[in-house]
Amino acid sequence: MTVEIEDLHVGYAGRDVVAGVRLMAAAGEIAGLVGPNGSGKSTVLRTVYRHLRPTAGRVLLAGCDLRTLTPGQTARQVAALPQERGSDFELTVREVVAMGRTPYKRAFAGEDRADRESVAGALAAVGMAGQGARRFSALSGGERQRVLLARAFAQDPDVLVLDEPTNHLDVRHQVELLALLRDRRRTTLISLHDLNAAASLCDRLHVLHGGRVVASGTPREVLTPQLLAEVFGVRAAVTAHPLTGDPLIAFDHREPLAAGGS
Amino acid sequence: MTRTAVDPCTTAAPEEDPAARRTPRAGLLAAGLGIALVAALTAAVCLGSTDIAPGHVWSVVLRRLGGAAARAGTDDLIVWQLRVPRALLAALVGAGLGLVGTATQAMVRNPLADPYLLGISNGASLGAVAAIVLGVSADSLLGLGLSAAAFAGALVSFALVWCIARRGGGFSPLRLVLAGVGIGQFLSGFTSYLVLQAGDEQQTRSVLFWLMGSLGGATWSVLWLPAAAVAAGLLALQARARAMNALIMGDETAAGVGVDVTRLRRELFAVTGLLTGVLVAVSGAIGFVGLMVPHLCRLVVGGDHRRLLPLSALTGALLMVVVDLVCRTAMDSQELPVGVVTAMIGAPVLLFLLDRRMEAGA
Repeated sequence: MTVEIEDLHVGYAGRDVVAGVRLMAAAGEIAGLVGPNGSGKSTVLRTVYRHLRPTAGRVLLAGCDLRTLTPGQTARQVAALPQERGSDFELTVREVVAMGRTPYKRAFAGEDRADRESVAGALAAVGMAGQGARRFSALSGGERQRVLLARAFAQDPDVLVLDEPTNHLDVRHQVELLALLRDRRRTTLISLHDLNAAASLCDRLHVLHGGRVVASGTPREVLTPQLLAEVFGVRAAVTAHPLTGDPLIAFDHREPLAAGGS
Repeated sequence: MTRTAVDPCTTAAPEEDPAARRTPRAGLLAAGLGIALVAALTAAVCLGSTDIAPGHVWSVVLRRLGGAAARAGTDDLIVWQLRVPRALLAALVGAGLGLVGTATQAMVRNPLADPYLLGISNGASLGAVAAIVLGVSADSLLGLGLSAAAFAGALVSFALVWCIARRGGGFSPLRLVLAGVGIGQFLSGFTSYLVLQAGDEQQTRSVLFWLMGSLGGATWSVLWLPAAAVAAGLLALQARARAMNALIMGDETAAGVGVDVTRLRRELFAVTGLLTGVLVAVSGAIGFVGLMVPHLCRLVVGGDHRRLLPLSALTGALLMVVVDLVCRTAMDSQELPVGVVTAMIGAPVLLFLLDRRMEAGA
């Protein structure tokens, strides 16, 4: 399923945080959103899973304007992994994953066989089979993120939207999570801070800066020293990764560029 | 993330599976609570200034339920006109407080939120206190004088909080709580002023008694409103139980699974606000039940609202019936206000359970 974002504007309190974003993820494509803090990545993603309403422009799912769909219809096609990660309430892993079935259920409906299978399948897919009874709040950061991804899988979506899913994870858990997204590929919109991770995972990257897309293309096309200087305000060399051949960005960590890219 | 990936957390501390047994356990628990509630209701009708045997009580109740007319005799009067309505009112108010507590905690996403946080009870108190001080007799308005005034006050604060909470995109947990606390304090100021203006000691005493909550006003004619409100509230909330599960994970999570978050919060506030208004109108502001009951239930059956809502209602009902029985019978000479006892029992129980939970590694 394709996702198209057309001339998207989103504002908080009269100020446009996203001002005319246009991007597209083809069916089955993993599209990465990268950019400095405050560039509008999360805001764009939030309009796709309908936490925020665009002030102008539109989001199309397989050519269909999101505004013509109910929240439930949208959630049967788009599953999100927002940055929220937790709760002081006593929920079990299984209950959190079963939340993914919400858009399929009417009021008062109990869980049926399909729900149970879907939840068990999603837990197995993220390597948490048999752990449904554990308390969500007692999980480690890596486990939590896997469970939240399982919830998204249980939603059986055509499109996955992930907002910085690797934040606060150690390297091993980051690699595991990205591998999982690659293995169970579907149309994906993902924001990532780690440009090397983005270069390895994504088919296409969209670079956001000041609420606009300033570059789009394959990681190799987009991640150039010039762009990194202009957008992120850092000096960097881009080489090929010795193990994978993906673009590998080596930052100069000693000091930022004088004028910055901002 | 291969299946062979071993997480150090799972191997180091294999957690027992308390939740695996939860679903059958929730059913058993509900049945047990139901039986306990019937037993508590029976005890509440049997015990008092004159004790009546359970067999006799049930025969009176069954005869009355069968439509038989009143039979001469004080037992009949005590059982049917005094104690049964009072025990039922206690159960209804307890069930209602359990429900509004559960829903409020989900609505503001805080397991320690109190339903009175949203200012409704302050409005009701002001209404009731104004009626007492201005000398509205308890018998006016079809015997609903105080309740009507309290409910009117509750509606005023509900409307004020609603108007403030909906502004600026609306009904976020923070806005709701700030609006509720602000309006609540504002109205409490007027209540305090009125209490100071109270003409005589008798008025002050009735005001205090009302503020602490009492089920003494129970008659058959006041039962129908809380009964209808609690039944409607339970249905309305249970229909939204799944959405509430998503809401406690966060607004974005809820939106992501297809919940219209603003609309859901608006509906929850409407249901809890009106139900709270009815409860406070008939019983005063009985504290701590709405905070404690959902929390206790959550510790036992977990956070899934599909189980939590009915169990909170049952637990609240049982608790209130027992507490009211204690209030009526603990002292020979006078009755204790229920709110005093709910706080004296409830707070230590809650602290004890929280403490144990923390040590167990929450």
